[in-house]
Amino acid sequence: MKKLALVFALVALTMAMVFAGGSAETAAEKEIEIKFVTWWVGADTKAGAIQELVDEFNANHVGKIKVTIEGTADADGLANSISTQIAAGNPPDVFCWGPTVAGFENYDGNLFMDFTEDLKGEWSECFADGILDQATYHGMTKSLPYDMAYTPIWYNTNILKEAGVEKLPETMDEFWDMCDKVKAAGYYPTAQMTGGNNAWTSMLWYTFLCGSIGGPAIFDNFEQEFPTNPVFVQAAEILQRMYLEYTHNDAIGGDAGVAGGYYLAGKTAAFINGPWYIGRVKNEAPEVFEATEMGFFPTINNEKIMVCSTLTNLAAANQKDPAKRAAVIEFLKWLTTAENAKKVAESSGAVLAVKFDASGNDNRLTAQVNDIINGSKGFVNYWQFYVAADMQLEFGQALAAMGAGKITPAEFVAQISSLF
Amino acid sequence: MKTVLKPHQVVAKIFKWFYIVFFLVFMLAPLLWLILTSFKTNIEFDTANALALPKVWQFRNYANALSLSNLPRMFLNSLIVAALTTVLNVIVSAMASFVIAREKFRGSNLILNILLAGVLVPIIALMVPYLKINMKLGIMDTLWALIITYSAINIPTSIFLIHGFMQALPKALEEAAIIDGCSFPQRFTRIILPLSTPGIVTAATLVFIYCWNEFTYAMILTISESCRTIQLGIRYFQTQFVVDNTGMMAAIVITMLPTIIVYIFLHNKIISGMTAGAVKG
Amino acid sequence: MKTKKQSNVIWILIFLAPAIALFSLFFIYPIGMVVGTSLTDWRNSVGMNFIGLENYIKFFQNANFRTALGNNIIWALSLGIFQIGMATAMACILARRPKGWTVYRTVYFLPSVISGAALSMMWKAIYNAQHGVLNAFLNTIGLSDLAHNWLGEMETALPAVIISQIFYIGYFMVIILASRVGIDDNYYEAAMIDGANVWQQERFITLPLLKPILITTVTLALAYGLRHFEATYLMTTGGPNHATETMGTFLYTKLKASKWAEANAIGTIIIITGGLAISGIRSLLSRNMDVE
Repeated sequence: MKKLALVFALVALTMAMVFAGGSAETAAEKEIEIKFVTWWVGADTKAGAIQELVDEFNANHVGKIKVTIEGTADADGLANSISTQIAAGNPPDVFCWGPTVAGFENYDGNLFMDFTEDLKGEWSECFADGILDQATYHGMTKSLPYDMAYTPIWYNTNILKEAGVEKLPETMDEFWDMCDKVKAAGYYPTAQMTGGNNAWTSMLWYTFLCGSIGGPAIFDNFEQEFPTNPVFVQAAEILQRMYLEYTHNDAIGGDAGVAGGYYLAGKTAAFINGPWYIGRVKNEAPEVFEATEMGFFPTINNEKIMVCSTLTNLAAANQKDPAKRAAVIEFLKWLTTAENAKKVAESSGAVLAVKFDASGNDNRLTAQVNDIINGSKGFVNYWQFYVAADMQLEFGQALAAMGAGKITPAEFVAQISSLF
Repeated sequence: MKTVLKPHQVVAKIFKWFYIVFFLVFMLAPLLWLILTSFKTNIEFDTANALALPKVWQFRNYANALSLSNLPRMFLNSLIVAALTTVLNVIVSAMASFVIAREKFRGSNLILNILLAGVLVPIIALMVPYLKINMKLGIMDTLWALIITYSAINIPTSIFLIHGFMQALPKALEEAAIIDGCSFPQRFTRIILPLSTPGIVTAATLVFIYCWNEFTYAMILTISESCRTIQLGIRYFQTQFVVDNTGMMAAIVITMLPTIIVYIFLHNKIISGMTAGAVKG
Repeated sequence: MKTKKQSNVIWILIFLAPAIALFSLFFIYPIGMVVGTSLTDWRNSVGMNFIGLENYIKFFQNANFRTALGNNIIWALSLGIFQIGMATAMACILARRPKGWTVYRTVYFLPSVISGAALSMMWKAIYNAQHGVLNAFLNTIGLSDLAHNWLGEMETALPAVIISQIFYIGYFMVIILASRVGIDDNYYEAAMIDGANVWQQERFITLPLLKPILITTVTLALAYGLRHFEATYLMTTGGPNHATETMGTFLYTKLKASKWAEANAIGTIIIITGGLAISGIRSLLSRNMDVE
């Protein structure tokens, strides 16, 4: 046992030496090193394209700038790690950042690099019209919108046909009619979930409901409006009905794997997620992929409302060294050129905040998503954009109670509001 | 010497075996199911009977897990961190335990109680300070960050175990040593330390297991691929908004496998280390 | 003699120094920072202002936080009473060396070497209403009425999470077994000759002699219960509707929201309640057991 321990210790010690040596070596080099901390690695659909772009950038700047990608595909864990680094006063050089209204408070400090001046030139023209406003707070733009969440309604037309539904529902009455028929045919009309960190799919249903009832401006003055405006209770009433009558029994407590699983398995007629899910459906459930049609959310008071949010922004640490700052800006500009954005978008199915010519896309569903975006009459940010992570979680908690019929829609809104 | 069992003895015997078997099933059945499911496709997992065998054994899940994550490196990192942490933690804890247990000085009880109270601290609450400390020490995003942090986190538990063991050794041992002219450090290295080996092995085992399985701080204190540990591999299959259930299960099995294999070979050493400790105490 | 004492003092300091240094750096300083900042409004990366006990008052007025506190007490008792009780019973059974006992011991300890995160994710899948193995098993044996959405129903979620954990008795069982096999067999032989049955032997010989190790393990179990976090977070994130919330998950939620001061206030509450509960229970246990 003793010998064993000794051997262990020696081996480990040698390893550690090797490590220490390795890191000392890199420190001696002169080129500017930029660490890019991102969840677009590993199993993530953008991983390949991002890696290629970084390699290409490094090849163009040999000896001057070297970008290394660090991170893990576990976006939730990584976001947590990044926010801890921010709190400790030391954000990574360049990093992915999920913007929320609460998080914009970070702009008031001086930890984030300020792009306001840089964006006054032609760089701002790379971005879709008006999208930079979504990343501007107190007049400063300290993060760049990149990955967008446009989330249409996904319908499984095989199920609709079998249930005798001829066309995608356009009004709420048609929607309920579809639900009844689908239910009678032995399928689940909608996929829902209260679990995960934000009850993702159900949070999107709720966002659509709020937007469709209250119009595109419904989330303005969120903190004042949410506790008092009856629209939010009306939207909750409809969501509750979906839970009580038209969804699977493990929606409560279920996570994205559960809600998505029902759609992939061809058991549910209507589902909401972003275009990044297309690749997954195509690979894992080809039949469902063939049967899928993207649709608008049914009209309640407002027609053709679409959810559109900045999902992931690019942010950077404030740099004192002007050379490093310039290098960071150069790298960010590289990521946001139309040509490069196109590579990322087309390989992953994502929709980006950067403008590019999307013609020639042969993916039927991606084209449908673009049609829906272009045909929309109004856009809303998703609900969770307006609240901090603890309230995002509270949404799922309160929804679990409301979905089980234990609290009323008014109580649901009140429970979430109590966190303001 | 076969004797006829009385009814209550029969009941006791039945109960005993029921109890033993129940726990065996509880420990093993879920793991077997996990392994079984890790060979299914996600669609199968979502639709087919959970007890059914996979229609086609999906070794692809394992191939994916292995190709996506830099598993050998993660494995090596975990080994380095766990080994060095164990050595560092045990040396530090044994030294402190020795003076507290064998040298009754004023304030020794207070120091012991303060150190032991560390067991209660919700380590998760200390994320921000730990990050700050590691950045100040200049070891953030290196394996040393994990080694130093884990060593410190485990001090209360290790002292708890080692101190309890050292305290139980008879006082006469040292008195004889002092008469023989042993110096202070010699009493530690030659007398108390060898006699406490079982207690130290117990502590070392627990520290090693802790390091191997730790997740939260591995996530926060390391960013680079080059210093990620094996537990972070599990999350490889949980990307934004998409959960690959069976892929994740394959990853869980892969991360568990080395532990289980090492355990199968060393279980006697691990457990008897813990057991031997108390036999002598 | 005097010089010897002085040199002893120096040696004592040298031996204590590394442990104290690490402990101060990783426990005392961070706790000081946690307690200090819990009195401010620190969130995100903006500066902090002193606001006194406001965070604490807010939490004690929050029904969900009180649920969390209650759940932690349930956890502590479940681990401290049921888990230790079952572990002790198993240790007593195995100490009598039934056929194959070393194999059982090895199997029971196995989950202790597997990461808690992996086990929690496994249990989450087991409990799933639709494709979990538990409901599949109940359906197969004709008990489909008992099938539940285990982690999704407010009534079953907490018991489900607790049950997934408390039967992992291996860790404590091995520690207790170590003490149990250390008891001299002569005691039991003498008792047997006096006509004591197995139950009486365990009750009147084993339990009193195991007192120190039981106090130790119960204390550890209580501490684990009061700071419980990982399994609940991974299986339910504290839901549905806070049914499984613990102070740890509550704290983590605040951390995720970058509400550092609020998180630190909860951290302080965990440390204080833990300290109070455990010193109270320890003194109670040692007194009660002294009487025996």
